[in-house]
Amino acid sequence: MAQAVNTLGALEWNGRGITIAQVLNALTEFRQRFARVQLTEDDHPHPRNCVMTLVAVAATEAEEKLAQTQCRTIAVHHPSLAIVVRDQADVKEGLIDASISAPPTVLVDESGAGTIPSPARYELVTLHVRGAAATHLAGLVDPLLVSGVPTYIWWLGTPPFGSKELRDTLQIADALVVDSARFARPYHSFLGLAETSARAHRRLGFADFQWARLDPWRESIAQFFAPVNRRAFLSGINEIGIDYRGVGRGNRIPSAVLIGWIASALGWKLQRAAGGDGGVVSAQFEAEGWRIVDVAFRSIVKPGLVEGEISAVRIKGSSGGTTFRLSIARSPDRSWRPAADIGPSEFKELHTAGDDEAGLEIAHRKAAQHREMAFQNRDSLHHTATGDPPGESVPRRPTIFVRERRNPDNSMVLLTLIDIGQADTLRHVQRIEPMDDAALLVQLLALGGRDSVYTRSLAAGVELMRAL
Amino acid sequence: MVIFGATGDLSGRKLLPALYNLSKQRLLPAGFAVVGAAIDDLTDDAFRKRAAEKIKTFSRTQPVDQQVLQTFLDMLFYVTVDFGKVDDFRKLARKLDELDSARHVGGNRVFYCATPPATYEAITEQLKAVGLNAGTGYHRIVIEKPFGSDLKSARELNHIVQRVFHEDSVFRIDHYLGKETVQNVMAFRFANTIFEPVWNCHFIDSVQITAAEEIGIENRGLYYDKAGALRDIVQNHALQLLALTAMEPPIAFEANAVRDEKVKVLKAIRPITDEDVAKSTVRGQYASGWVLGEHVKGYREEANVAAGSLTETFVAVHLLVDNWRWAGVPFYIRAGKRMPKRVTEIRIQFNRPPHLTFGRQAAQELDPNAITLRIQPEEGISLKFGAKVPAAGIRLRSVAMDFLYASSFLVEAPEAYERLLLDCMIGDPTLFTRADEVETAWTIIDPVEAAWRDGRPPLQMYPAGTWGPAAAAKLMEAEGREWHRP
Repeated sequence: MAQAVNTLGALEWNGRGITIAQVLNALTEFRQRFARVQLTEDDHPHPRNCVMTLVAVAATEAEEKLAQTQCRTIAVHHPSLAIVVRDQADVKEGLIDASISAPPTVLVDESGAGTIPSPARYELVTLHVRGAAATHLAGLVDPLLVSGVPTYIWWLGTPPFGSKELRDTLQIADALVVDSARFARPYHSFLGLAETSARAHRRLGFADFQWARLDPWRESIAQFFAPVNRRAFLSGINEIGIDYRGVGRGNRIPSAVLIGWIASALGWKLQRAAGGDGGVVSAQFEAEGWRIVDVAFRSIVKPGLVEGEISAVRIKGSSGGTTFRLSIARSPDRSWRPAADIGPSEFKELHTAGDDEAGLEIAHRKAAQHREMAFQNRDSLHHTATGDPPGESVPRRPTIFVRERRNPDNSMVLLTLIDIGQADTLRHVQRIEPMDDAALLVQLLALGGRDSVYTRSLAAGVELMRAL
Repeated sequence: MVIFGATGDLSGRKLLPALYNLSKQRLLPAGFAVVGAAIDDLTDDAFRKRAAEKIKTFSRTQPVDQQVLQTFLDMLFYVTVDFGKVDDFRKLARKLDELDSARHVGGNRVFYCATPPATYEAITEQLKAVGLNAGTGYHRIVIEKPFGSDLKSARELNHIVQRVFHEDSVFRIDHYLGKETVQNVMAFRFANTIFEPVWNCHFIDSVQITAAEEIGIENRGLYYDKAGALRDIVQNHALQLLALTAMEPPIAFEANAVRDEKVKVLKAIRPITDEDVAKSTVRGQYASGWVLGEHVKGYREEANVAAGSLTETFVAVHLLVDNWRWAGVPFYIRAGKRMPKRVTEIRIQFNRPPHLTFGRQAAQELDPNAITLRIQPEEGISLKFGAKVPAAGIRLRSVAMDFLYASSFLVEAPEAYERLLLDCMIGDPTLFTRADEVETAWTIIDPVEAAWRDGRPPLQMYPAGTWGPAAAAKLMEAEGREWHRP
């Protein structure tokens, strides 16, 4: 397979304090130049070569860089228009700074001996938007969209679910891509995602990186039930257990979606659910209108896992007098490997105190510390930033550490144990190769964001989460 | 060529740059001269200086060729004319006679009314009074839209103009028809064998025509507040696009053959009855909002607009063409200002296949076939069809096959006005509207205007930077369709 190795004749454009109309003009000029580049008299101009518009919305510099890198990686094989918007709505002055880069791609054949000039090209537009304009994303981006190809919105942080800004933005999109592992207020945002999905227009699809990361689990479970002689086991499941890392509602999302996937596929109805201390969850589903299936989550401590990640899944049941047990566990002794591209590991503000218990605890502790320090130093304080009397200052927007729920190394070794009846335990070990964000994104976009299995699983997962 | 209103916006932005570019392409006839006529008191040199500035700013070809520009400027003359004073027209006639003798143009004259519609009557009457409508050579008049403000006024204007000029010498200009991509609609349909057989109600589900602008009314408040989007865009541009899309093949690309077919289509449009207005039309007006990343004010805050104005800046209409070819196929038109972007397109949506061979699940991402004729910008044609997603099993998705005007020919498309001015000088009215065409278009518009004056349906507000009021989407949803996002 040919592989992109370098770029020639890159077109670059930068503008500060400009309008979107100027960006559009620059893009048009780029395209006209591209159509005629390296043409001889007899050549036909290069046609438009664009398979999608990918709009990445970033809130921080790290997110912006991540988006740019992933867009470039994807564009090598999928010529596209990528628009990276760094939204800085909280900055007062309203300005747009923009840059466009459009490097032509040159491919080398597999032997490395020759090069293949490729008409494939991508355009990467980066917009830094400050002030109120940033809250009108649709108006910013719509004029730039390529007509006739799908538009995907990739929101790197937490989309403002329920806001008019998001509703308007989704009007111009064919799919919204999020990473629920990156949500600042995971529980509320997860509910927001489900609600947005339920109310979205018909054309709009939804995709979640977290869902793609569940693929190995889903595949392993599906493989167990795939042989014809095990299909009947599907209506014999009576117990599912999931081990995951972390406590708090936000960390239960992957487990809930996985259960949602099974429950929605098999038509189970949630009867009751409860969450206890230490991350324990207990739920009951009604299957086939009469049978009860018990579901339990438990929080475990395991090195190498980030919060929310699933460590093990156990499915038990019996059918036609035969008992079965499927146990899938991640390899127990993988060491923690931090990676550089994990995004912001910095203090970040939350708009309000969140549902994230650990985060809240830290926030409250910091607030108490702040009060205590202010009280102790009240005599030497002339004023406080809040204008409160000395010793009374309480930070209104507590600063907390946003926890990372993405594992930089998402490769895994899954150990599957299968017990059916009296037969010996079958053991199966599989190594799941790591996939970076670009690969996951391509996987999600390959379905056009219209993955009805995901939206069904999301809805069922949210139902469970709400019941807790 | 006499340009009435030569110091105005249209002349500076479009006409003079278009004539300069025709000059650059050596397409102007020998001895050609332009006489600017307007109320401003200018000398020839002052007019030339002003023209040079406009051409440098607005010419499509940049940088301006100084030698060509100088030659072109030497062709420009100016006469101060008050349209109410016959003596000024006598002065104009003398100037034209002078130029006739000096430049040997055989008495050929084109009078271009780049003036507000209210002046058309006075100009034609004065031209007749001083005998400038007849004599040796040809005498043609070019009239800009809007041609009348309703059927009655259009008929009156036709009557006045036809009293002075023969219909063959009247060139009613709708600059959309001069656009290459609009002319290409006919080429697309009638120069190919693969599209015309499916161009009918048996294969086509619906047609959408969108004419959106991101700009507001700029400094045209006085005119626009009286006109509105229905008169400003739908009566002329949009209905012309509809006619070109729906007409039968003319026997030749010849003025009357083409215009006869367009008139037939316009006549076949089912009149919107008083009862149907509320469900077949939507009118909206932009409120303040965000366009292209900038905050813009609402229509009522614009200069020269009445505080409580009910003028529509957005219109959506559902029309039916009652003929054999189009029976039952809805034509949806939407036009508006302060929309997210400037785009004009015609979208032909085809029916779904009669049977889903691959099943509903496989085809859930598959949209019906569609052809999009993009008039502006990114002029071109896009064909949407289904393809298998590369993977195991069958999963279908829509993909597009594109033709882009700008990159498919190694020549730049001329400006609409270049083509139209040249056609007028050549005497080819194919791309101009005929009197009966204009009047028929008004018969479609008048009943809607009448109902709107009674407040049916109510005016809906929409934030600037959006695709119009929610009612426009409901107009489509009511019939199980949705607007294409350009």
